[in-house]
Amino acid sequence: MSKICLLIITFMLCYSFAAGKSKLTLGNVTFKSLFADPDVIPTADFKTLIVPIKRVGNLIIVEATVDTLEGNFVLDTGAPYLILNETYFRNYPNMGNDEVVGATGVSSGSYATIVRDFSILDLKYNRLTAQVTNLSSIENGRHIKILGLLGTRLFSKFALTVDLFRNVLYIQKLGKDGNIPESELFYHNPFLISPFKYLDDIMFFKGSVNNNVFWFAFDTAAETNLLDYQKTKNIMSSMHVMGRSKLTCIGGFSFEVIYACFDQLTIGEQTFMKNQVLITSLEKIGECYGYRVDGVLGNDFFSRGIFTINFVKKEFEMYIYTNQ
Amino acid sequence: MAQGHNALIIEEDRLIIQIDLRSSKIQLDSILKIAGIREANTDNIIKGDFGFFKNEGWVFEAKQDNIVKFNRPLIVLSNNSQRTPYLVTTQIPDINGKSKKSPLVNYGINKFAKITVYELASGLTRFILPGYERSKRVFLSGNFNNWSTLKGLMKKADGGWLLDVKLEAGACEYKFITDGRWTTDPDNLIQTNDGAGNVNSVYYKYNYTFKLSGYSLAHKITVAGEFNNWNTDELSLGKKDNIWQLQMYLSEGKHLYCFMVDDQRITDPLNPHKENNIGGNLSSVLNIGEMVTFKLDGYSSAKNVTISGNFNNWDENTLQMQRVANRWILPETFPAGNYSYRFIVDGISMVDPQNPFTLFEKGEFKSFLALKPTHYFILKGFSSAKKVTIHGSFNNWEPHGYTMARKGDDWIIGFNLKPGKYLYKFIVDDRWILDPGNKFWEQNEFNTGNSVLWIE
Repeated sequence: MSKICLLIITFMLCYSFAAGKSKLTLGNVTFKSLFADPDVIPTADFKTLIVPIKRVGNLIIVEATVDTLEGNFVLDTGAPYLILNETYFRNYPNMGNDEVVGATGVSSGSYATIVRDFSILDLKYNRLTAQVTNLSSIENGRHIKILGLLGTRLFSKFALTVDLFRNVLYIQKLGKDGNIPESELFYHNPFLISPFKYLDDIMFFKGSVNNNVFWFAFDTAAETNLLDYQKTKNIMSSMHVMGRSKLTCIGGFSFEVIYACFDQLTIGEQTFMKNQVLITSLEKIGECYGYRVDGVLGNDFFSRGIFTINFVKKEFEMYIYTNQ
Repeated sequence: MAQGHNALIIEEDRLIIQIDLRSSKIQLDSILKIAGIREANTDNIIKGDFGFFKNEGWVFEAKQDNIVKFNRPLIVLSNNSQRTPYLVTTQIPDINGKSKKSPLVNYGINKFAKITVYELASGLTRFILPGYERSKRVFLSGNFNNWSTLKGLMKKADGGWLLDVKLEAGACEYKFITDGRWTTDPDNLIQTNDGAGNVNSVYYKYNYTFKLSGYSLAHKITVAGEFNNWNTDELSLGKKDNIWQLQMYLSEGKHLYCFMVDDQRITDPLNPHKENNIGGNLSSVLNIGEMVTFKLDGYSSAKNVTISGNFNNWDENTLQMQRVANRWILPETFPAGNYSYRFIVDGISMVDPQNPFTLFEKGEFKSFLALKPTHYFILKGFSSAKKVTIHGSFNNWEPHGYTMARKGDDWIIGFNLKPGKYLYKFIVDDRWILDPGNKFWEQNEFNTGNSVLWIE
């Protein structure tokens, strides 16, 4: 009996710890105790699910179904879980105590909700927790209707392979050893294998920029690489400046960024040349992740090849297009 | 970044722009654009007037001979309060440097190795993909369904897959998705690159048939026009029921054309509308689009009534109305779209008194006309309002907006809106409101929200 009690207490402690850690901010959203729920186990009647993707700008778009509504979602490894666009899901029930703000008298804040059915073709979830927030900046920036973001926790039991050359996403079940079964491997001989840290559902890589150690978040919704200004300023003179721009975001707030190019980005044991980056402050983005980051690996990095993220083994692989 | 002596460089935590005053205007525009400096007067810069840089926050650093340098501290890069990378990167215009807009297609003829796409009597278009019998599911995706990967589920049939869809006349770009993999139509010989690195199949839904009777002894008859750059060897007519004919897609608008009968150029004997083309050759004139009849009642003593609008570049002389009894009328054909216009009665300009829809442009009210509207905005529940206008991203939030018309208890206006997202609001008797009939809205910079409409 005492062993059972001990197990229960241990479980509760672990659960509380996990819940306590799950405080993240996305957009104008702070994730509080929202995702203390244990991971949702999806129904996945496949070994490999092949999902067609679309490209808009440098975003990776996957169509999915929320209850009865079909539409576009951004594959976003920078998001911890399913995020829904408040424009279309404002009437979903608020399951948390998150702050609700609305000058129009109608709710316009961010909050947690429950999606009864969510599916990407044959990958199906029941009662999935999601966050409802304002994603209008993506719609207005890229002129595409966006229902939401597909965060990493949706795929935490799988390996994802993204082939941007054929516009295909592979969602694959893993064997007991955490690997994609040999018979289901579509790509062979990766030129890059790198472990990653998986902290609060965000992927982090240790790498280097012109031989200086950098910690990167990996974000498939980042349409280019980003480097933190404070971390980069001492090595900026070794970079080639490509331009300067003033960007305007929600609320009319504007800020300056610098586009630059540098030659030595090392991830794993692979060094990438001619890397384009946008230099800005990543302080707030780091706060959002819960961890300070020196850079974000975005499209300029991951479009160099076909890439696989094994969320179980916490391993990232990249293949060149012809090597399959 | 260096262009000749012009350069953008980083030194000691400062961004430095170096300008060679001997640069051409194009070179100057280029370096200023790279440096994110817009709307600068390059003539003033060449003359040595650098006030613009100061106003934009640049600090004068040095001038030596023809080289001048300005700098700005990079510490301003710290001022980014965005909390996710996408909030930064989605604001970068044209991020991959490729235009994804397909060029407008003037005309088109289908070419299939084996006809697998064809029109049904119902008006629907049938797409067939032969084979793939072991596939679990096949989708048809194209510009007609916004490239959906879920909506165009094809039905399994004997020997392949099929789907019937409703298409508008024009170029339909499409692909099949077989078990998750994109594939072009193997039987369709016409493909196009969409500008983003994707190759798509193209099917033309026809909207016009050229016909020429007689000439039974002719060996070859072709049609040529402005639409195909007067190429007389490309578009051959075939004989059907003793009439030479060719079905094809032609874009909306005005087309000049002729027939070539065994190398002899003739105009269309069935078409009374003719005019000279740029080369001075008499050509037949074809207008494809929507017919509209402008009417102006009264003004029976007027001598000359014309219409000017954005459809004729506000030319006040070319579109003459005809007097019929106590009314001036003019039937015209224009491509589907949104138009503004005014009547000119003996030199005096006026809005159309019978058209309740107006807009305000360049200092004056104009009548508004939507040909082939794709969406009607309807405001219910304000039957006692005196005036309702609509404002939105489609008119750059112009303060006067478009006046809406009362229809029963509702207020209504139609627009021909192209696919895309539109933000809008109504002003009801000077009060801004969201559309109460539309549950979709998003927050705006004033924290008052805008209604959201997607045309797909």
